[in-house]
Amino acid sequence: MNKIKEWDWQIQAEQKWFRINLSELLEYKDLLLSLVRREMLSSYSQTVLGMFWILIQPIFVTLFYVLVFGNIVKVSTAGIPPVLFYMSGAIIWSFFSDTLNGAMYSFVKNAHIFNKIYFPRLLVPLSLFITYAIRNGVQLVLFFILVVIFGTSSTATFSLLALIPVLFMLAGLVGFSIGLLVSVYMAKYRDLEQLVLFVLRLFMFITPVVYPAAMVSEKYSVLFWANPLTPIIETFRAILFQHDLIHVASLVFAVLTTIALLITSLVLFKKKEIKIIDNI
Amino acid sequence: MKQTALRVENISKLYQLGVYDAASLKNDLMSGWGRAWGSKMDSENSNQWWALKNVDFELSKGDVVGIIGKNGSGKSTLLKIISRITQPTTGSVKGNGRVSSLLEVGTGFQPELTGKENIYLNGMILGMKKKEVARIFDAIVDFSGVEKFLDTPVKRYSSGMYVRLAFSVASHLNSETLIIDEALTVGDSAFQEKCMAKMKEISSEAGKTVIIVSHHLEAVRNLCKRALWLKEGVLVADGNADDVVTDYMKQEKFIYLSQEFNTPENAPGNEAVRIKKTEVVPQYGNSKSEIDIDTPLKINLSFWNLKESKLTTGIRVHDIGGACVLDVCSDSKYYDKGIVEGNFSIPAGYLRPGCYYVSFDFVKNANEKIYSFEVCLTFDIRAKKENKVWTENRPGFVRSQVPFMLHRLKESTNVAV
Repeated sequence: MNKIKEWDWQIQAEQKWFRINLSELLEYKDLLLSLVRREMLSSYSQTVLGMFWILIQPIFVTLFYVLVFGNIVKVSTAGIPPVLFYMSGAIIWSFFSDTLNGAMYSFVKNAHIFNKIYFPRLLVPLSLFITYAIRNGVQLVLFFILVVIFGTSSTATFSLLALIPVLFMLAGLVGFSIGLLVSVYMAKYRDLEQLVLFVLRLFMFITPVVYPAAMVSEKYSVLFWANPLTPIIETFRAILFQHDLIHVASLVFAVLTTIALLITSLVLFKKKEIKIIDNI
Repeated sequence: MKQTALRVENISKLYQLGVYDAASLKNDLMSGWGRAWGSKMDSENSNQWWALKNVDFELSKGDVVGIIGKNGSGKSTLLKIISRITQPTTGSVKGNGRVSSLLEVGTGFQPELTGKENIYLNGMILGMKKKEVARIFDAIVDFSGVEKFLDTPVKRYSSGMYVRLAFSVASHLNSETLIIDEALTVGDSAFQEKCMAKMKEISSEAGKTVIIVSHHLEAVRNLCKRALWLKEGVLVADGNADDVVTDYMKQEKFIYLSQEFNTPENAPGNEAVRIKKTEVVPQYGNSKSEIDIDTPLKINLSFWNLKESKLTTGIRVHDIGGACVLDVCSDSKYYDKGIVEGNFSIPAGYLRPGCYYVSFDFVKNANEKIYSFEVCLTFDIRAKKENKVWTENRPGFVRSQVPFMLHRLKESTNVAV
């Protein structure tokens, strides 16, 4: 008898670290795509305006910001046309907060399915990330149409322009990673949901969404630029409007932070994905 | 040599009871701290409960196994571990081939999506690829009988259509190992029979390993060759399905002398009838507490009649081997909606000693079976201790009180000696 036997799969008490099974994820590629499709369809089913909501939302947010921060409070937009200034902040911020919000409910909202059927749990946050990437990508396209309409002073080279989708994805990945981390602990302690939603609202005010980074006093600048979203939004605006120099050091720091966050969250998620079900 | 499909190696599962609050957070933080510093924390406390204890068995490819046991005996936990939904606390499970589990009919159905979209989505959640679903799509639709409503969102389906579609998707999975929990009886009785037939077909398919958990003991007997019996998390028997089920019924029978349900919502039944109460009441003479052959038995039944209809109710009494020893029908009569009650008496000395179980059938218009409440009561008739010792184990299928008289002929003098 052959003692050393190969098994197709194995379940034991402790999930090994670093077991992100890519081949398994590929096995479930069809499911991932149909989860994305379902998410796209179901958010707009039984709505009159349907997919137009994707565009309506950033337009209204931008108009609101223009009205409140541009005309009432009169915040500087560093020489950038106000509509473009607020919209650039708003769509990057919404990609970040959407992906965070989506990923953090991975376990809580799908407990009934996770309790009955096995499939790689990562498919759920991943499908949401892809859905939001598509949705916010459409908003980004709208933004560029507006850039063409309002005109730009940019003389950015093509390679710099190619950085824009990268910056955009970076913002989404920061949200996705934080969301994954939160999802793992929120399954057991729901306090985290309240805490995160609350902090997220305040966090927007220390991110240059409705004001330019140049307004922040020198005293807080190190802390301010440590926020990975700050260099992402600022570089995005700098490339398009050249209102400021690109803050290379903090951009590099933001990229490294994002990668570290992403790896930590994926490993933790993978390690805890099965164990968590007993805590929900 | 038979190929191994699944090996369950000495698994145990510990559940943490109680609520999560500041105390449990403190505990978590401390144990995290303890682990980080390498000190061993004593984690034994009263808030823990072992759902499974050292369960160990192996299934060969093609085995059809039933898992039986009372509620809370660890059946579902075992299935969850094998289906990779939760982890064992110790031990491991190893397997070959794809495992699909059907732990609840309709899990993962999206109310907003149409029947067709749900067949695809559900099939893929259960582990199939899009191409595979496409290949068996027609068979699924055929089996479910909902082809007219394929483009309707499933939230508009009746509950019967919903479970029929869900069962169809799951039962057409082509994975090597299939795990099924309590999914045998869905829909109306015609569909239930179809389900049973499908289950039989699946389990007789060469090379397919099937694990079935059910309270439906007759189904386990019919479908499975082997049965595992879990009791308080321990595997107490593993062997031939007939024998294990018989032992189980003998040992656990006391729970079946009566069954009562408070509300129609959680009572067994379907859209036509729901069981309210079934019981066997022994008519003990003078303070006896054991049913013996001289104890008359009264069988009571009450149920919610949810549709005005012409109903016949049948009572079947089976012996432990599954043979029907008695089948009694009520008159076919028209009943309004509401609670319907009935009773039936088994006179003393009518049945042989042994273990029996009772099933009820509900028949509409004298020919259309609408529901069967199977194996809902069991009772054990003991032989009577009396001076005639040899009466205890008298053979025969029926026990009759028909007098058998002997008398000596008067004309005995005519016989030549």
